[in-house]
Amino acid sequence: MKINPIIVVCLFMMAAQSAIHASDAEKTAAVTVVKKANSPRVKSHDGKSVRLPDDDLNDEYGRAASVPDPIEPLNRGTFWVNHQIYRYIFRPVSRAYDTVVPSVVRKGVFNVFDNLEFPKRFVNDLLQWKLKSAGQESEKFMVNTVAGVGGVMKVSDRIPALADLPRPDTGQTFAKWGIGHGAYVVLPIFGPRSARDTVGLAGDIALSPVFWVSIWFPAVVWMPAVTTPDSVRTLHDRLGAYDAVTENTLDRYLAARSSYIQNRSKAASK
Amino acid sequence: MMKRQLPLLVLVFCLFSRGALIASTDEAEKRLKTAVNQVTEIAAHAPDRNALATGVKPTLQNILSFETMTRRAVGPGWRQFTPEQQKEAIGLFTTLIIRTYTAKFTPGELPSVTFKAASSPAPGRVEIPTTSSYKGSHYDVVYRLDESDGWRITDVVIEGVSMIANYRTQFDAEFKQGGAEAVIKALNRSLATSK
Repeated sequence: MKINPIIVVCLFMMAAQSAIHASDAEKTAAVTVVKKANSPRVKSHDGKSVRLPDDDLNDEYGRAASVPDPIEPLNRGTFWVNHQIYRYIFRPVSRAYDTVVPSVVRKGVFNVFDNLEFPKRFVNDLLQWKLKSAGQESEKFMVNTVAGVGGVMKVSDRIPALADLPRPDTGQTFAKWGIGHGAYVVLPIFGPRSARDTVGLAGDIALSPVFWVSIWFPAVVWMPAVTTPDSVRTLHDRLGAYDAVTENTLDRYLAARSSYIQNRSKAASK
Repeated sequence: MMKRQLPLLVLVFCLFSRGALIASTDEAEKRLKTAVNQVTEIAAHAPDRNALATGVKPTLQNILSFETMTRRAVGPGWRQFTPEQQKEAIGLFTTLIIRTYTAKFTPGELPSVTFKAASSPAPGRVEIPTTSSYKGSHYDVVYRLDESDGWRITDVVIEGVSMIANYRTQFDAEFKQGGAEAVIKALNRSLATSK
């Protein structure tokens, strides 16, 4: 597959433009807060003018998950379709995978392909100028590949310095470079993304050795469906996270959007 | 004379403030640890999710500030609720919070919680970061506590996702559409459909 550089440039420009809009939105939000502080009185239920309490003035919750969502109706439609796919296809597939494949094998498969995602983590560590993390990531890859028999066993978990390393991705790198979320978008199958992270996803795929192997050897084109981070090997955990976010909510779509944006903002701050 | 004593007074004041801060974070941490231990103990022995929800309810009522959580989840619009509507919203949101919290646990499985150094972002507020290890995964969980009627949890932030900020997004949308009534109706609808 040949990647058209014009498409890549267009995607990047779209993300950059959205990011500029996002940064404008953040400025507007900041102005709103200042206005609120200058006029700290609101109408109460009986029409009286009352002063807002301190925690309403320092209202961090009102701004925590704000993101432009210009195509909300389309996103809601895609979200609904995804929900049905998760419910009627992915969940049975996940259950079947958990039932048919023994836990030890599942763990081994997970470890091998997690180890193969080394280039994504290493390159993004370098792009974020986290040289120490890049070194530790290389060490982890070597330890797991050699002592862990090709990554089947995650030996690095037994080494405290390597046990809990951050997992940088390309979207996070863009965030570190100061690019905002941009517009919120719900991708078919993949689910919630921001414009920035959609371009980041393309970067992550480009850094995946499994993707390139499946391109060069069409006989193993099925491999990404089993091995990539958004594949059947992680389905159980991802469906668990999806349930945790969307159960007990007033609006499943808004809950997923808010959770996604907050989670990615936290990842960018690491 | 006074000039010479000023640095000493400042030092005493700083030491006193620092001492008070450490004491308050210690107290909040102690209270949170007790509650977390109680909840995990109940979760470890609960036969099913209903028993888990019933078992942890008294502990959660003792450690969570439902009134503050509801007020912050609704935001500035809270002032436009009548006292009756506020009472109803707090009651409904309490049930929803207990369901949300207990949904994170599988009965019979015990998470291990490691407490990290607490911080105080503002007077009367403490944030206690923890790492929960559960089913082979590690999660960063931050407990936010306020001092009102003892130290009480006002928010739980899991992997950067604040429970209150998450509900705020949803409440805002309902409030803009139909005010307090719409929020209460949405809460009732959610409780009727959620597990």
